Amino acid sequence: MNGIVDYTRPSSLAEALEQKAANPGAAWLAGGTGILAGDSRPRPAALIDVGRLLPRAIRMADGELLMGAGASFQDIADCDLVPASLREAALTMVNRNTRNRATIGGNLGANKSCASLIPLLLVLDAKLIVEGGKKTRLGAAEWLADRSGLVLEAAIASDPGRRSSYLRWARSSCDLSVLTVAVSCIVTSAGLSSLRIAMGGLASHARRFGELEALFEGMALPPREAIEAASAPLFNPIDDLRASAAFKRLRAATLLADAMHAAAGSALAASSPAATPGVRQ
Amino acid sequence: MKVSFKLNGRSVKWDCEANESLRDALRRKGITSVRNGCDGEGSCGLCAVILDGRPVNSCQILALQAEGCELATVEQQSRERKLSIVQRALVDASCVQCGYCTPAVALAVQDLLERSKDPSEEEIRDALSGTLCRCTGYEQFYAAVRIASKRLTDPGYADPAGPEFRKDLRHVGKDREKVDAAALALGEKAFVEDRVEAGACHLAMLRSPHAHAWIKSIDTAEAEAMSGVVEVLTYLNCPGAVYTTAGQGFPEPSPYDQRMFSKKLRHVGDRVAAVLAESPEEAAAALKAIKVEYEVLKPVLSIAQAKAAGAPVVHSGAVSYVVGEAPAGTSVEGDGRDDPIIYQFPLHADPHHNLAASVADGIGDIEKGFAEADVVIERKYKGNRVQCTPMEPHVVYAKIDSGRLVIHASTQVPWHLRRIVATAVGISENKVRVIKERVGGGFGAKQDIVLEDVVGYLAWKTGRSVFWRYSREEEFVASRTRHVMEVTVKLGAKRDGTLTAILMRLDADTGPYGQHCLTVPMNAISKSLPLLLCDNARFEVKSYYTNLSPAGAYQGYGAPKGSFALQTALAELAAELGLDQIDMIEKNRVRSGARIEILKSLGEGRPGAAVTLGECGLGEMLDRGMKAFAWRGPRPESSDRDWRLGRGAVIIQQGSGLPGLDSANAELRLLRDGTVLMLSGGADLGTGLDTLTSKAAAEILGLEMGDVAVISGDTDITPFDKGAYASSGTFFSGNAAVRAAEDLRDKIIATAALILGEDPADLKIAHRGMVKGKKGEISLARLAHMSTQGEGHGELVGFGNFKTEHAAFPYGAHFVQVAVNTRTGEVRLDRYHAYQDCGTPINPALAIGQIYGGVLKAIGHSLYEEMLYDDNGRCINANFLDYKIPTINEIPKDFHVELVPVADEVGPFGGKSVSEIALNGAAPAISIAIHDAVGAWLREWPFTSERVLRAMGKL
Repeated sequence: MNGIVDYTRPSSLAEALEQKAANPGAAWLAGGTGILAGDSRPRPAALIDVGRLLPRAIRMADGELLMGAGASFQDIADCDLVPASLREAALTMVNRNTRNRATIGGNLGANKSCASLIPLLLVLDAKLIVEGGKKTRLGAAEWLADRSGLVLEAAIASDPGRRSSYLRWARSSCDLSVLTVAVSCIVTSAGLSSLRIAMGGLASHARRFGELEALFEGMALPPREAIEAASAPLFNPIDDLRASAAFKRLRAATLLADAMHAAAGSALAASSPAATPGVRQ
Repeated sequence: MKVSFKLNGRSVKWDCEANESLRDALRRKGITSVRNGCDGEGSCGLCAVILDGRPVNSCQILALQAEGCELATVEQQSRERKLSIVQRALVDASCVQCGYCTPAVALAVQDLLERSKDPSEEEIRDALSGTLCRCTGYEQFYAAVRIASKRLTDPGYADPAGPEFRKDLRHVGKDREKVDAAALALGEKAFVEDRVEAGACHLAMLRSPHAHAWIKSIDTAEAEAMSGVVEVLTYLNCPGAVYTTAGQGFPEPSPYDQRMFSKKLRHVGDRVAAVLAESPEEAAAALKAIKVEYEVLKPVLSIAQAKAAGAPVVHSGAVSYVVGEAPAGTSVEGDGRDDPIIYQFPLHADPHHNLAASVADGIGDIEKGFAEADVVIERKYKGNRVQCTPMEPHVVYAKIDSGRLVIHASTQVPWHLRRIVATAVGISENKVRVIKERVGGGFGAKQDIVLEDVVGYLAWKTGRSVFWRYSREEEFVASRTRHVMEVTVKLGAKRDGTLTAILMRLDADTGPYGQHCLTVPMNAISKSLPLLLCDNARFEVKSYYTNLSPAGAYQGYGAPKGSFALQTALAELAAELGLDQIDMIEKNRVRSGARIEILKSLGEGRPGAAVTLGECGLGEMLDRGMKAFAWRGPRPESSDRDWRLGRGAVIIQQGSGLPGLDSANAELRLLRDGTVLMLSGGADLGTGLDTLTSKAAAEILGLEMGDVAVISGDTDITPFDKGAYASSGTFFSGNAAVRAAEDLRDKIIATAALILGEDPADLKIAHRGMVKGKKGEISLARLAHMSTQGEGHGELVGFGNFKTEHAAFPYGAHFVQVAVNTRTGEVRLDRYHAYQDCGTPINPALAIGQIYGGVLKAIGHSLYEEMLYDDNGRCINANFLDYKIPTINEIPKDFHVELVPVADEVGPFGGKSVSEIALNGAAPAISIAIHDAVGAWLREWPFTSERVLRAMGKL
């Protein structure tokens, strides 16, 4: 593999952070499915292997779901404690061999536009427990803004009544996600409450779409056609080899509509059924 | 650094560099089962290992990360070379074709069964989601898992036998173990990369960054002086011969328009300079030290650009003809800078106007036919460029042994390879030996000599052993691809659907060189037009040079694109006439006893002849498909308002080799113990050809399969064979084996008659390995022993040659049901049934597996596979992350193959070809089904969601 000249396997987190401080250009290494992908791609000259130092357990503590940053996508998929939408998001990394190595920490650290987990972590208001950063506990969006320190765990607080959904579009099952959307909300008799929407594939990173949340907050669930019509003009994707910007705009709108209907549930969407996976309360 | 871990139960301690992947370390230490198909992208899964109990891709793990881990490869499953339950099940379910992916599949299934003793189909899909296989179509993996699962509790479990044919024969028509399957499942040495010896040099190629350019200057001095560099080769110091890379029968119907290296660069990825060095790292470093100055030219990036007035000229060298004259009005004078172009005979070409070849012909009077029609339609169809993507990329290892050049090749054409390399290197053919190793998928791409010429030359020149393996990116940009074709179809018909005239105008993009430039596009006509009986038919084929990736052979050899155009147009005409599309097919299709006049115009480089067809199984196949799809019943309806269902059906055909042009030979030796050795010229690409030739010997000589060993595709040991292309394996190589066995049988009888003192007419071969007469009997072992003693008549050897003027057409009918999402354009393939006639299926399960594999490739081509280029002619998706091929998740929910045999009078035991035809149905059938669902015609494949929405007017 190109470039790697220095590989270290520190025996403690403290040692790992010392090594990082001494060599800020060194990269964290856990599963390696991102940073080691492609034989001919450039690599960091130095790697600090924290694969065995990161917590891997997924557990409940003090009303929170705590997921170790070293937990693999397969660990997430296999764990009944994890919200179903997040488990299904993990399964959208369809390649099982990769799921067995790829970690939550790696997904956050790479912060790619097509990241499978980040949109859901954003709409579930996940907090990250971080070592060696500016704060030890902060929101996922805040951490992603500068990614300083080493994420140890992701925490999701219990939020009874909140529903969530996750959908993606890719050209084929094992393709990278071109578009992702995660929605969470509380459904009341008055309509959608505390609506959160995060999408990937529309910019360099997945992000919350506050403008969309504001658009639909408090409303009764609109028909899918209305959601599509209202949201499409807000998307500004780019042309690439996977699809044209025009198609992505349309497809993002349909994904959002389906995800909102999936999250809000069939009771409110009876007039406009959406056959979509990844929906759990 | 040292790394210690447990490998297959044993502790190991290895020295590894920081940057060495676990995959590379394992291979360096001799674990051959760990393969590489995607260069570390994590897409193919062929490097899978079980790490601490979980299957993972070893390409994305540093060897040093394995410290303290427990690691298992497939070698652990099979101590003492015995197949494990999983490996045995994969063999028994005929899942081993080329075998390059088999160890990875075995590991995935082993892991699955440890998690779930009786897994569901969903669990099987999930377990195999990380493993790419281009041969099998995955369907038979389900059976393998089921068999393995049952054998966990019942080791003696035997799956019910599949369909069997020819009850009068012992082996033919019954499933027998593929002769190379066990070794491949064990992950033993079998492929070229397994033959590389210590001390071999490595080749790396500097490739053109420009689609069209002259090399103004090139400076290799610094590279030549670098550590470990043995040789640097450019157009300035390479041999001057021009040749075609097409492994076709000589004289080839492809222009000689390629030199080993050229001053003119004609596509992104074209050869600029080769470095031979003692390590891959030194070769790569030296490439960077080569200084090149380019004069960049405007490229030709489409057929329209190629034929435009004043278009840039891809080939501007002098044009000459070995036989015949240049067409009137074409220029032959070169510009003095470019390499010459030599045509073996005229192909109606005008290369200085980018026309590499053309042909036009027909029967009847099409103007009269169109005038008589009640309805005339004209439609244009386009099929884009797709790549064969064998899991094993192109690879070669060459060395000098006893003054001769020995080439270990992954090739479909050992003898053409020998001829072309000898020509390129400038030595006689008796100085070259080609050994075809197991081939990790070919699919047409390995019909061309794309790396053996330069490797052979450098081995010959330097005396060093030379290894070169394409990267996956090179496989995309510098291997061979399926031609882009634009086909205009004009049809005229009476109101009742009777065709009165057919016109097919086909333009093809052959890329920068002319290998297969005429024959592939021509095959698009010759394997589609004869399906329809029409007195007035005409075709016009033109093949253009462009500056895009080289085109060439790909399974189906043009036929899928001709089939797409003509079958879809026929359905469009049916819709115009308000007829059911199958009624339209029935009205016009070829049938038993029909006289196929159009074949007069469709000779392969020579005059053709009309053929009166014998038995044709199309009617039976259509009936079975219509019944399975309840075609005459109510339309299937979706319960989901977003999705609409549609159905489509097509008829397809192929050939069985090239009658009158090609031939095959085989030799069969009786050994001292009564077993036999089959020396077949045929090139088994994982297709089971060696199993077929083995069966021929066992069947005819009354032996068991284990009594026959096969050596094939070794130009020193086995007799000439045209190679594995044009669906010729079963028909030609198989028939050569049959004739060799019959010849040996006759010699055995004659010799036994002398020994037993009986009339030869009274002697018969009896199972197992006996000759029985009226008075006595003698075993083959005894006969062989006596024949080779001082008083004997010499070793008993049978020889078989096969050539024919007989055209054996396999036919098929494919039916699909799709669901189309009207909001998103997504196409979901719910059902795919392939009914195919391959004559007598020699090994039914293997034949079925090849059909599954062929169909799934065509599904990928139809729905999402497409090589994409930027405005400078650079392919922007030359890897498995961006160019997606089908995984097990892409197979239809109801995927069904059914053999409807119609024995051929000339084929071996009545057999015909089986594999290529399977690719001809998906594109038109899916296109027709999409129209049936949403009323939009898709005339360009792949039918991406975006194209579907555009066709529906929603984008």
